[in-house]
Amino acid sequence: MPRPAATAMGALLVLLRVLAGVAWLAALAATWRQALEDELGEFAPEIDAATADAVLWFVLGAGAIILLVEAVLAVLIFLGANWPRILVMVFATLSISGTFAAWWAGDQELTLDLTLVTLALDILVMLALSSRPARAYARRPREPRRRGRRPPGPGR
Amino acid sequence: MSEQGMAGRSRSRRFSLNAVLDQFFFVYAGLAAIWLAYLLASETFAFGWWGILVFVAFWALLAYLVLPRVHRVLTTIYVPDYFMGRTRTSDGLFGDPVNLAVVGGEAQLLAAMDAAGWTRADDVTLASSRRIITSTLTRRSYDEAPVSPLFLFGRKQDFAFQQEVAGNPAKRHHVRFWRCPDDWLLPGGARVDWLAAGTFDRAVGLSLFTLQVTHKIDADTDVERDHIVRTLRDSDAAIEVDVLKDFSTGYHSRNGGGDTIRTDGDLPVIDVRAVATTAGSVVAP
Repeated sequence: MPRPAATAMGALLVLLRVLAGVAWLAALAATWRQALEDELGEFAPEIDAATADAVLWFVLGAGAIILLVEAVLAVLIFLGANWPRILVMVFATLSISGTFAAWWAGDQELTLDLTLVTLALDILVMLALSSRPARAYARRPREPRRRGRRPPGPGR
Repeated sequence: MSEQGMAGRSRSRRFSLNAVLDQFFFVYAGLAAIWLAYLLASETFAFGWWGILVFVAFWALLAYLVLPRVHRVLTTIYVPDYFMGRTRTSDGLFGDPVNLAVVGGEAQLLAAMDAAGWTRADDVTLASSRRIITSTLTRRSYDEAPVSPLFLFGRKQDFAFQQEVAGNPAKRHHVRFWRCPDDWLLPGGARVDWLAAGTFDRAVGLSLFTLQVTHKIDADTDVERDHIVRTLRDSDAAIEVDVLKDFSTGYHSRNGGGDTIRTDGDLPVIDVRAVATTAGSVVAP
């Protein structure tokens, strides 16, 4: 069964989503002091530079690990595995639902900025990976694994 | 309990959970895409001239992702999936009418079409897609251009043939063929090996249902049907044609692109069993 365009497109979109995440982390690092002050308000001046740097490195490290995992999932999707496809769609569903809830409550303006771009990427990932060809390819009949084929022998 | 039995049971349970999740994601993605289309449409007017680009993105999203997904979900619910003389588009909408049947083997059918002046359409691949773009840009003709997929018996056509019209890429004769399932009989009991849908593309336009760019077909599908039968008959005297009168009652309808269709309902059954297939036996007099 040849790889359908929807699967290749879905994997590519997940990679683009990773790039959007990298851009988001880079923007955060560049405006770290400002972001701290926005979030913490009056407590921000009490934090010394070393602590602020440590927190930043922790956030960047955690973000990098998540993005790395997502990039690996994209490769697995491209190779035709099913569970990474499901997992990525679960994450996308949560992300879209969260954005929708914030938008509905009126907290979040969705204009042409990074938020709308990531939302659009999430939705395009969902459309591509949930399409019939992508589903059929990820769930195509495969050679049974050797473990499953071995008859129940004395080693059980 | 053996290890294998447990593995087998957990596997079947996981797969049904998968199916439920997949159905959910399929519908959820459609709803999310409708929301995204709304967001893009509301942004169109906030960007001045750049809004035109946002509007194009909105149209592309709507036509190629949202509406097909909506039609797919709705037709799965409402349209029963059995033979009713119409092909289906990949979105589940009704497509071109089935208006020809063939008795005979694949090699004979291919040889007969070839001899009657028809060109087999390429499959849709990366290479053929690239060639469509280059031939459009350079205004060169591409006789073997692929045709869009239509579905019958839940399958894409097995192959398609076409004839160009005087170098005009917007107009062409084309006919798609499907092999019937084994032991499958037409309504009424006739046994045929192939069914075909032949229509004439008269222009390029927008589909009424999905807003996609597509070929508009000529409403009188009987003209194209009779053209196909005539070219086959004229090219080889061994081909016999039997007509099932009023096979589908003459109906007025629309195809998947929203074009009107008119037919008298006759179904010609083309018998190609006597067609010679080896190159040596097709000898000019």
